[in-house]
Amino acid sequence: MIWQIDLSVLTLIVICGFATIMVKDLLSAAIIFGAYSFLMCLLWTEMGAVDVAFTEASVGAGVSTILFIATAFQTTRKVKSRKKGRIFSKIVGLTAAVIMGLVLLAAQNNFPGFADPGSPASLHLSPYYITKTLIDTAVPNMVTSVLADYRGFDTMFETAVIFTAGLAVIAILRRVRLADRCDLPEPYTISAGYQDTIIRFISRQLVPFIQLFALYVVAHGHHSPGGGFQGGVILGASFILLAITYDMDLLLRRVNEKWSVLLGNIGVLIYAGIGFICLLLGANFLDYSILHKILPATGPVMARSHGMLGIEIGVAIAVMAIVITIYANLASHGKLDKGL
Amino acid sequence: MEYLVSHYNYWIYTLLMMLGLYAMLAKNNLVKKVIGMSIFQTAIIVFYVSIGAKREATIPIIAHGHGSDAAHAAIDAMHYANPLPHVLMLTAIVVSVGTLGVALAICLGIYRRYNTLEEDEIQEQLQ
Amino acid sequence: MNILIIILLVAGVFLFLATTIGLLRFPDFYSRMHAAGKGDTLSSLLMLLGLALYEFHELNLATVLVGGKILLITVFIFMASPTATHAITDAGFESGARPWQKEKTGEGD
Repeated sequence: MIWQIDLSVLTLIVICGFATIMVKDLLSAAIIFGAYSFLMCLLWTEMGAVDVAFTEASVGAGVSTILFIATAFQTTRKVKSRKKGRIFSKIVGLTAAVIMGLVLLAAQNNFPGFADPGSPASLHLSPYYITKTLIDTAVPNMVTSVLADYRGFDTMFETAVIFTAGLAVIAILRRVRLADRCDLPEPYTISAGYQDTIIRFISRQLVPFIQLFALYVVAHGHHSPGGGFQGGVILGASFILLAITYDMDLLLRRVNEKWSVLLGNIGVLIYAGIGFICLLLGANFLDYSILHKILPATGPVMARSHGMLGIEIGVAIAVMAIVITIYANLASHGKLDKGL
Repeated sequence: MEYLVSHYNYWIYTLLMMLGLYAMLAKNNLVKKVIGMSIFQTAIIVFYVSIGAKREATIPIIAHGHGSDAAHAAIDAMHYANPLPHVLMLTAIVVSVGTLGVALAICLGIYRRYNTLEEDEIQEQLQ
Repeated sequence: MNILIIILLVAGVFLFLATTIGLLRFPDFYSRMHAAGKGDTLSSLLMLLGLALYEFHELNLATVLVGGKILLITVFIFMASPTATHAITDAGFESGARPWQKEKTGEGD
């Protein structure tokens, strides 16, 4: 909670935020947004939120930037500037923002001070989680145990939301029949014969290590910052790296559309399936301590830890499949033949 | 002055949130509006994470958590950052990337139909 | 040992500063990529080496694991960062960035 680091990083964040909105080129806006996300990740690490910072670094600064670049690749890169028009909407926007900002700032009188250990948010429920997580679940990472065990319902529906987002992207963009393919001119000509040996070789060497690290993040989420989401996004990002450095064909030969939707399904099914197994064995839904009856040589406390690992694996599979689906559909404008 | 120094995280999150709101309302290009939405979402996450921060507290992972004797050692709740806002914000980040994917897919669909990404040109073509 | 760590960290920060100044002041795209690629990689490597040496103050299993992980990060940065610089420079060449010529001031890029 070093306020000097806080203030300098916050100043850089505000500058990056202004720059992202004002720049006249979509590709530059995407890159500055990536820098903004990395600075946010730094800020949250400094405030003590390492899991949130890890997720933002992989999701916000990694995948979001490539999604923006894929969109700018398929549409247009220039942002047309208007000198005189749209004054009305600018005034409305500025007025609404200023009034709402003043209302929010006026409400701050009753808020507790920054980093106050006695603030009401830290006094009622979270001391129970902090003191009891090792006794109840044998998992030192409090965020993972609250995410996957104490608040497991939220995480299940969040995985379902991710899956629904992938389905929505397929529903909006995917064109299969030849009659649906309208002929837009290609915005950029990809030089067809251009293959770069260095980039392809290095990315081919790095992808196994990236995937191994992603599996390590999923499995080690109980003792270090990590967990299912971060590992799943890193796995998806390794496939996106292959798609960028080679062709989209390579990605689609390995993970074709049927398999990616199927894997998304399987991920959510693993999560809900573990919950149902707990129901069948006689306990509540997603109450993992009853799993010690079918897992060999564990007690009720360790069974909760293993149940958490099971659902993290389900979440990782689902998130990986959906990240690949969203990227493949965005980068090839739904046709899934060639892309970025 | 004391009030300003002790509450500076709220000023910053309000500034970022209003930046995102202005971008969503006043910008012409659709992708810039989506960027404004992302800035708005990360400002909310800054707010929640700053609520969970504690002075002189460490990260919410219990040190020396291996072994069976660790469960019986006294764990002081004051020494660890509050894990609840972190959990809520993990969900928020993952949902925000899903929303970003769908929003960009809608932008692509609009470009396919109207051949432009500027809002006023689309409104002209609609009339 | 501490002196060595401080030297490594200060050298890394100083190289980062030089990289940033070069990125802002060089006249055209290729020299800027030159500064960004080499300075970025080397300064990251020096700072991470300093941090890894700090972990090796006392040698038990936990610190050897952490130091080993930091050294592995060093290896991967050394593989990936020059490749990224090469990719950006290739993209600039493909899209027609011209090198800076001495007699025409204010051109290039």
